[in-house]
Amino acid sequence: MSLRQKLLLMFSITVVGAVAAVGWTVSVRVRRVFDRLDQNQTAAFISQFRHEFQHRADDIASKLDRMAASDRLTRMAFDLTQGGDPATFLREAPDLAQEYQLDFLEIVNSDGAIVSSAQWPARFGYKETALSAIGKPPFLKREELSDGSFQTGLFAARSVPATGSSIYVVGGVKLDNDFLADVPVPTGTGVYLYQNEGNVFDARQLSAAKGDVQEAAKYQALIDVARTTAKEANRVVYLTARREDSVNATAIPLKGEDDSVIAVLLIANSRRDMVEVQNHIRAITYGVAGGGILFAIAASLWIAAKVSRPIEQLARAASEVAEGNWNTQVDVNSRGEVGTLATSFNHMTSQIVEQRERLVQSERVAAWRELARRLAHELKNPLFPLQLTVENMVRARQLSPSEFDEVFEESTATLKSELANLNTIIGRFSDFSKMPKPEATTTHARDIIRRVLTLYEPTLREREAPIELQADLGEDPLAINADAELLHRALSNLVLNAIDAMPEGGLLTVSAQHKDGIVRIRIADTGKGLTPEECDRLFTPYYTTKEYGTGLGLAIVQSVVADHRGTIFVESIPGNGASFVIDLPAANEAST
Amino acid sequence: MFRRFAISGILLWCALDASARTRQHYGGTLRVEVQSDPWQGPDGIARQLTMDGLTQMDTVGTVQPALSSRWESQNEDHRWQFWIRGNVQFHDGTPLTADAVVASLTQSCKYGCPWTKVHAVGQSIVFTTDQAIPDLPAQLAQAKFLISHQDAQGSLEGTGAFRAAGFPNGVMVFTANDDHWSGRPFIDTVEVRPRRTIRDQWMDMSIGRTDVVEIPPEMLRQASQQHLAVLSSGPENLLLLQLGSTGPLSNPQLRQAVALAVDRNALYNVIFQRQGEIAASLLPSVLSGYTFLFPPERNLNRAHELRGGAKPSQLTVTVEDGNPAMQLSAERIVLNLREAGFQVQIVSFGGNMQPDIVLKQIHLETNDPWAALDEIVQSSGQRVSIHGTDTASLYRTEKDFLATYTVVPLLWLPRAYAISERVRDLHLSVDGSPIIADATIEDVK
Repeated sequence: MSLRQKLLLMFSITVVGAVAAVGWTVSVRVRRVFDRLDQNQTAAFISQFRHEFQHRADDIASKLDRMAASDRLTRMAFDLTQGGDPATFLREAPDLAQEYQLDFLEIVNSDGAIVSSAQWPARFGYKETALSAIGKPPFLKREELSDGSFQTGLFAARSVPATGSSIYVVGGVKLDNDFLADVPVPTGTGVYLYQNEGNVFDARQLSAAKGDVQEAAKYQALIDVARTTAKEANRVVYLTARREDSVNATAIPLKGEDDSVIAVLLIANSRRDMVEVQNHIRAITYGVAGGGILFAIAASLWIAAKVSRPIEQLARAASEVAEGNWNTQVDVNSRGEVGTLATSFNHMTSQIVEQRERLVQSERVAAWRELARRLAHELKNPLFPLQLTVENMVRARQLSPSEFDEVFEESTATLKSELANLNTIIGRFSDFSKMPKPEATTTHARDIIRRVLTLYEPTLREREAPIELQADLGEDPLAINADAELLHRALSNLVLNAIDAMPEGGLLTVSAQHKDGIVRIRIADTGKGLTPEECDRLFTPYYTTKEYGTGLGLAIVQSVVADHRGTIFVESIPGNGASFVIDLPAANEAST
Repeated sequence: MFRRFAISGILLWCALDASARTRQHYGGTLRVEVQSDPWQGPDGIARQLTMDGLTQMDTVGTVQPALSSRWESQNEDHRWQFWIRGNVQFHDGTPLTADAVVASLTQSCKYGCPWTKVHAVGQSIVFTTDQAIPDLPAQLAQAKFLISHQDAQGSLEGTGAFRAAGFPNGVMVFTANDDHWSGRPFIDTVEVRPRRTIRDQWMDMSIGRTDVVEIPPEMLRQASQQHLAVLSSGPENLLLLQLGSTGPLSNPQLRQAVALAVDRNALYNVIFQRQGEIAASLLPSVLSGYTFLFPPERNLNRAHELRGGAKPSQLTVTVEDGNPAMQLSAERIVLNLREAGFQVQIVSFGGNMQPDIVLKQIHLETNDPWAALDEIVQSSGQRVSIHGTDTASLYRTEKDFLATYTVVPLLWLPRAYAISERVRDLHLSVDGSPIIADATIEDVK
C-alpha cells in the first residue's frame, strides 16, 4: 500500500469514525429525549382521559340519582310494585333517556325483568344482569344491541324504592368516538378505541375520534397483548415502510365489573419529528463524513505531491544507482526535509562518481603496482636461476673442457627450463590481459553446464580417487544472455578447482535453478574447505592456495561473471568443503 | 200555571235543541290527517272518497249495490253478471259504461284475479271463472276493485261522493259531488293532510287543527287515557309472518320451528297494549268461530327439537311497514328466534335480496269468511282450493294451508281513529275505513 493510500485510509477512518461516533451519540440522545416527551405526553393524556372518564361517571351517577328521585320514576315504581301493568311503561325508557341525555337506559322491575329499554326496546321481559352493580360506582359494560352488535358504555345502576320493594334503573353513555373527541388530544397524537368483542382481533372494531384509523391492522400485536394480559403495553408500531410513519403506541385495557377487558384505549404518538431530526442528523453526519473523505483525499493528494512523489523519485534514483547508473540526479522541488534529502542524494551520487573515478584510478594504479609486483616476483624466480647459471658458466670457463661441457649442458638445460617458465608466465599474463569482451546471446545455462560436466566426467571417474558427480539441473531451460564460450571457460575453471580441492576423492555437486529472475549455478566440493580469510582474497588476481598456480583462474572467472552482470561468491566452512555460487540475470522470457 | 207553562217551554226548547242537534246539516269542512299517501294502496282515503265499486259493504257487513244496481250468478257461481247503474258519470263528465268498468277492473287486477275472464255485455259486466266464486259480490266491494278511469290529462277520475279539487299548500282538497248517485254528501269539503306523523296528528287534534286522526292500535290505550273520542273497528288488520318456502326455510320443519318460537303474548300484551286479539288462525273469531282450535302458545322446546342440531344459515327478516310498532315487533320476533337457536338479522325492506321472513299486515276488507280467507292467502302469493261452503270445509281449508307454515298469523288488530267534538255521524265501515260521506260537522248552522 502506498503512502498516499495509507494517508487516505488513515484520514478517512479518523474523520468518518469521529463523525459517526458524534452522530450516533446525538441520535441516541435525541431518541431518548423524544421518548421521554412521548411518555410525558401519553401520561398527560391518560390523566385527562381519566379525568374525563370520572367526570362522565359522576355525570351518569348524578343523572340516575335525579331520575330515581323524580316523581315520574317514583310513580312508576309505586305502580309497578303494586302489580301495575309493565306494558304501559314500554316507552318510558326511550323518553327518559332522551330527557336525561343518556345513550342507554333500562327500567327493571323488582323481579329483574326489563320493563322498558331505550337501547333495545324489544328486550322487555328479559332479565337484566347488571343489577349486582346497584349503588356501586359507574362501571364499564359491553351492551348488546338489537342488530347483534355490541357497544361499550359507561353505566351506573340505581334503585327506585317504593312500598317495600324497588324497581331499578340502569343507564349509561357510549364509550365511543364522541367520548374520545371530548378529550383534548395533542397535535401528532392519535387516540383510538378498540371494542373488545371477541377472541380474535378485528380491525373494524378500532375507531378514532375523527375519521378512520389508518392501517388499523398494524396495531393488532399491541392490542392483543393488552387484551390477553389485561395490562398496559407499549411498543413502536410501523404503519408503513417509512420510519417517519411509525408511532409510539401505548395500549391501556379498560376493564369491566368482572375485570374482563371491555375495550382498549390506544394512544399513538407520532415519531415523525424524532425521525426527521434523526434523518437530519444522519444527513449532516453523512455530509460531514463525505466532506471529510474529500478532505482526506485532497490532503493525501497534497501530501503525496509534496512528500511521496519526491520520495519515489529518490527511490527510483537509488535503484538506478544500484543498477550502476551512478550519475543519477533528482529534481529538487521543495525546500523542506525532502528537498534537503534530494540535495543530499545528488551530492552523494556526484561524490560516488568522483570517488569511483578516484577509486578506479587508484585501483588501476594498485593493479599496475600489483601487476608489477607479481611480474617482478614471477620474473625474479626464473631470472635468479638464469643469473646463477650464467655465472656458473662464466666460472666454468676456468674448468677443463669436459667439465665445462658438463657444466655447459646442465646450464643450458636449466636456461631452457627457466626460459620456458618465463614464457609460460608471460603467456598467462598475456591471456589475462587479452580477456575478450563477451558476445552475449540468449542461451541455456543448463546446456552449458552439461557440456562442462560431459567434458570432465570421464576425468572424475578415472582418477585414482574417484569423485562422484551429482547434477541437479532441473528441467527448466534456464535461459540467460551470455557468451557461451566464456561461461564454459569460467565453469570449467570452477570444476577444475573443485577437483583440485578433493585429492582424496569426494562428491562434486553441480546445481542450477531459476528464481526471481536470477539463474543460480552452484558448484560444491567436499574438500578441506576455506577459511574466511581465504574466502575474502580468493578472487584477487595472483592469489592461490595451490602449490602450483598463477592465481588468475578465479580472477578470470570473476571477470567473466562480472562481464555478464552477475555475481560470484563462495561459501565454505573449513573441513566441510566449499561452494562457489554464480548468480546471473535470467534472460527476458519474451526474448526466448 | 205559570210554572207549568215555564217548565213546558223549557222542555220544548230542550227537545227542539236536541232535534236540532241530531238533525244533519249540509256544509262544513272535515279535516283529516293521515300518515301515508292518501292515494297509495287500494284503501287509501283519497280513493275511497273519489271512487265507488260495483258493490259496497254496509256497516254490518252486508253487500249492497253501488255502481251496479243488481247482479245474479249462473252456472253454480261460475258466471256472474252485474248490471251497471244508469246515469252515472265520472267526475270529468264521462258516462260510466260497462266497457269503462271492464277496463278499470282489468287494470286493477292483473294478477291473481278471482275471475278468469271479464267482459262487457251491453250495460252489464260478465265474470266467468273456472272455479266457483260464491262471494264475488263481497270481493268486488274491496277497495282494490274501485272503478276509475284516466281523463284527458292522465289523472284518475272516479264516481265517488267527493271529487279532487286541488293540492294547495300541501293539503288535498276534495269537494262534494252534487251529482253523486247516492245523493250529495253532507260535508262540503274534505281536507286531507298527508304524511303527518301520529305525534303531529295528535298535537293538531289537541289544538283543534284537525277533525279526524289515526290511532295506531298500540296507542289506543293511551288515547283512552287522554280521553280522546275514539272510533275503533273490529279485527281488521292481520299481523302475520310470511315465511319463504325456498332458501334456508325450504324445510317445513324449520318453518314450523319458527312458528313455534314466536311469543304472541309479548306482542299482544306489551307492544300492542292488549288491543285486538291473538291470532293463531287466519280468520278472526268473529268470522270463523273456531279460532280456539288453533293453539297460539309458544313452544320453545319443540322449536329446538324441530330445528335439531343443524345450524341453518342466517335468516333475514324484513318489515313491510316501517312504523315503530311493527319494527319493535320484528325485533321481538328476532329475539324469540335467537332463543330457538336461529341466527336472524333484520334487513331493510325493498333490498335486492329476497328476505326469508316478512312481517306484514293484511287489511281485511270483507267479512265473508271465504272471501277473507282467499284475500289473506292471496296476499302471500298463494291460492287455496275451495271444497265446500260449510264451516267444516272452511276449517279444513284453513288448517291445511296453515300446516304448510308459509304464513304464521300473530295478531288481529283493529283500526281506530280519534275524532274531534265537531264531527258527527262518522262511522267505520266493515273494513275499518271511515264513511265520510255520511258524516256531518256540528258547528255548521
